[in-house]
Amino acid sequence: MSEILKKYKWMGPIIEKMDRDIKRIFMKNFRMRDKNYFPEGDYKADIKNLVNCMLCPNLCKFDCGTLQASLTETMSPAYKARIGYYLTTGKIDPTKKENKDFVDLMYKCSNEENCKVWCPFEFSVVSLLETVRDDLNDKGLMPDYCKQQISKLNKTNTIEEYNIFETYKEKGIENIETDGNDEVFYYIGCESMKFPEVVKANIKILKKAGLKFSTNLEKKVCCGGPAFNIRDMETAKEFARKNKELIESTSAKIIISDCPGCILTLTTRYEKVGFKFEKEIIHIVQFFKKLIEEGKLRFEKSTPEQFRKITIHDPCLIARNLNDTESIRFILNKIPDLEITEPLYNKEYVHCCGWSGTAHWADRDLAIREAQNRINELKETGTNIFITACPLCELGLAYGINETEKEKYNILDISELLIEIL
Amino acid sequence: MDLKEFELIYNENRVEIKDKQKVEAKLREIVGFKNVSTKEIDILAYNKDTSLIGFNWALQGKIAGLPDFITWPETSEQISEILKLANQEKIPVIPYGEGSGVVGGAIPVYGGIIIDMKKFNKILNINDKDLTVTVESGINGMKLERYLNAKGYTHGHIPQSFYYSSVGGWIAHRSAGQFSTKYGKIEDMVMGMEVILPKGDILKFKTIARASTGPQFEKLFIGGGGTLGIITKATLKIWPYPESRSLISYAFPTFEDSLEATRQILRQQIYPAVIRIYDADETIRHFGHIEKAKDKVMVVLVCEGIKRLVKLEEEITRETCEKNNGIDCGEEPVEHWFETRFNVTETSSTPTFGMVIDTIEIGFLWDKAADMYHFVLEAAKSVKGLMIITAHVSHFYPNGVGFYFTFAGIPPKEKTDFEFFQEVWNTIIKAVEDCGGSFGHHHGVGINRAKWMPVEWGKAFDSLKFIKKLLDPNNILNPGKVYESTWKE
Repeated sequence: MSEILKKYKWMGPIIEKMDRDIKRIFMKNFRMRDKNYFPEGDYKADIKNLVNCMLCPNLCKFDCGTLQASLTETMSPAYKARIGYYLTTGKIDPTKKENKDFVDLMYKCSNEENCKVWCPFEFSVVSLLETVRDDLNDKGLMPDYCKQQISKLNKTNTIEEYNIFETYKEKGIENIETDGNDEVFYYIGCESMKFPEVVKANIKILKKAGLKFSTNLEKKVCCGGPAFNIRDMETAKEFARKNKELIESTSAKIIISDCPGCILTLTTRYEKVGFKFEKEIIHIVQFFKKLIEEGKLRFEKSTPEQFRKITIHDPCLIARNLNDTESIRFILNKIPDLEITEPLYNKEYVHCCGWSGTAHWADRDLAIREAQNRINELKETGTNIFITACPLCELGLAYGINETEKEKYNILDISELLIEIL
Repeated sequence: MDLKEFELIYNENRVEIKDKQKVEAKLREIVGFKNVSTKEIDILAYNKDTSLIGFNWALQGKIAGLPDFITWPETSEQISEILKLANQEKIPVIPYGEGSGVVGGAIPVYGGIIIDMKKFNKILNINDKDLTVTVESGINGMKLERYLNAKGYTHGHIPQSFYYSSVGGWIAHRSAGQFSTKYGKIEDMVMGMEVILPKGDILKFKTIARASTGPQFEKLFIGGGGTLGIITKATLKIWPYPESRSLISYAFPTFEDSLEATRQILRQQIYPAVIRIYDADETIRHFGHIEKAKDKVMVVLVCEGIKRLVKLEEEITRETCEKNNGIDCGEEPVEHWFETRFNVTETSSTPTFGMVIDTIEIGFLWDKAADMYHFVLEAAKSVKGLMIITAHVSHFYPNGVGFYFTFAGIPPKEKTDFEFFQEVWNTIIKAVEDCGGSFGHHHGVGINRAKWMPVEWGKAFDSLKFIKKLLDPNNILNPGKVYESTWKE
């Protein structure tokens, strides 16, 4: 309220001069504002910002990934907020079966947070939708596709139907158990395990830099990111506890991960639920940048012909959550004979691969269309190799390439390029 | 959920569709199964445009209009077929770009079929030599400009709704952008178009620099408000991205001084891309932090283009401002304008206080512009409940100006917010007509201005109605706008 009074200070003299009857109505409206539109209730929804968003002319709609994928007004950020407000205030009853579409809409966001870039209130729509999800969960209305993810987490400790970390042997990934005295803990993401060549490359690079590190795949569990997205906070906290135990057991001062989603979860999200590490937790590209600066990583070979033209796809979690668009470029610029091209939407304006957040569970086709949109933008650069640094991006972007073009285009993690020249 | 739980504002004369399932099946045949929806979640999403009163309704859980079908065609032929079907079944069709209009142009007042143009979102061609871009009309303005900027061009059409408006919407409502003194308005930029007539005929207007081959028929669709045809493609002018930009601001002792300075600038054929005069109240609101502007009238100007030309324009602009008592305020006010020009936050707060706000843009010739401004202000103040009426001058010509009035008020006890809203609108428009101004500068007619069309157009309005009847005998294309007033007396 104090901010509002400050912002509308100039209205003081206008109110003073008002007709008495009108002033009375205005003052009544002012007093009744909360009761009328922000009623007290047993909800966690950020109702004030839902209203700020729903009454905005949709300033961010042109850059909303799900809207651009669906090409419908229904997917527009302000409309999502409006439905969130109606679900919270009971205008739309979320418990009724026929309102399932409205409940599902609260999950159709890919967490890219492009909206935040353009928001005059400086929030992201997903940060509002998550508060609506809190209430839906409290009412036992978590959608089945979310329940399935939670069930997998509880059953396998990963986001897969099976414990994906246990597959390391068959995938030829070396497991390095901690002796309690590591410099670095290489925290491998669940989704990274789907790209064994990336994990192997990272291990090779870390070894080349002469580091003492562990991977602890026998004990490794998911960071709990999916539970944070779904807002099952009990499950999320349980994973925070498990990871705290695992990470502390390594004694490593630096925790690095190949998955920016894991970094976000281990840092900001854990802090919000009361778990804080007194350690440096950074993405692996940020760590590689450091190693290069310290002279511990050197590029000794020239870049093979087939890798010389690449396009950067910034993972949105690195660009917008970690606010780092520099590390990837720093590393790539150190590579000899490499021609780097940038897509139209890059750095902090990057468009999402479609595979973050809850949208890909709520509406798989929508997520695939978002991936196709991004692939089309990358293809416009004229190169065939798209370099990223996030397993979710690798996964999502791959869905965006038609079967007939799979041979033509190559989505690579930056580490896969690095091992070619180290 | 039953949408009947939401109060419907435009609830009279709704179309009766006898066999909704049959129409739905036919629509699916035309555009494909996935491109039609009758789901409540989609129907609710298309109930309104960006009319500011619509935000009050949204907060109160009300619906402006209620469409029956939402369609997302992908080709001109599909649109043509939808229109043919609508004529057979006598169902209204409402073209919908980005829904950024603020005069109700995209509200389905009688229900019917929404044609969402979002799938017409391609940039088809840039011709560097001709300086043109050809696009499908559903493309978002910001997306187009970002693309052009990356290729080294600008379109130069930057309306305040830039982030959430489409090329088709710009043309249908004959819009004007913030940089229009240099680059012109949308009617100056359109060089070719594809338009689908209400009966389904597809017209292709050639891309030409200029021609004398009969009347400018295509101009009928620029500003037609989506009532005479649906624009599907357009070829627009583009420009090389300006190599230089100068930011200029001056504070003037009086509103009259500021008008005189800008008039003289234009008279010398100097065309700063941006000129904006903020009256004393708006200067406090937007530039309260600028010490030199205290109790004055702020003018911000942007000259852009090639360096040598910008230098000359800046020199003459400065000389003229200073000759008319302007005090140089430096670049900061212009930078502030650049930073905040799209930040609309008032729409999010005022409805929660029960306030009704809106903007009304009008055109005046220079001769009596200042007198007219005062006349309109005084007239508006006579409406009970009106708290604020301010203006800035947003568009400039050697012969006249576009004024942009902003009002805010609290409906008195005996009036609903919608009745109060209409009273302010009608009072302002009447004042504009009484003093010889033109009642709409760049937001279009839609619902809000329809009542005043006979006054503004005189006998010519009968001819316009005749043309509408000829092109759209069943009145299926965007009814309830322009030609008939749906506001109750």
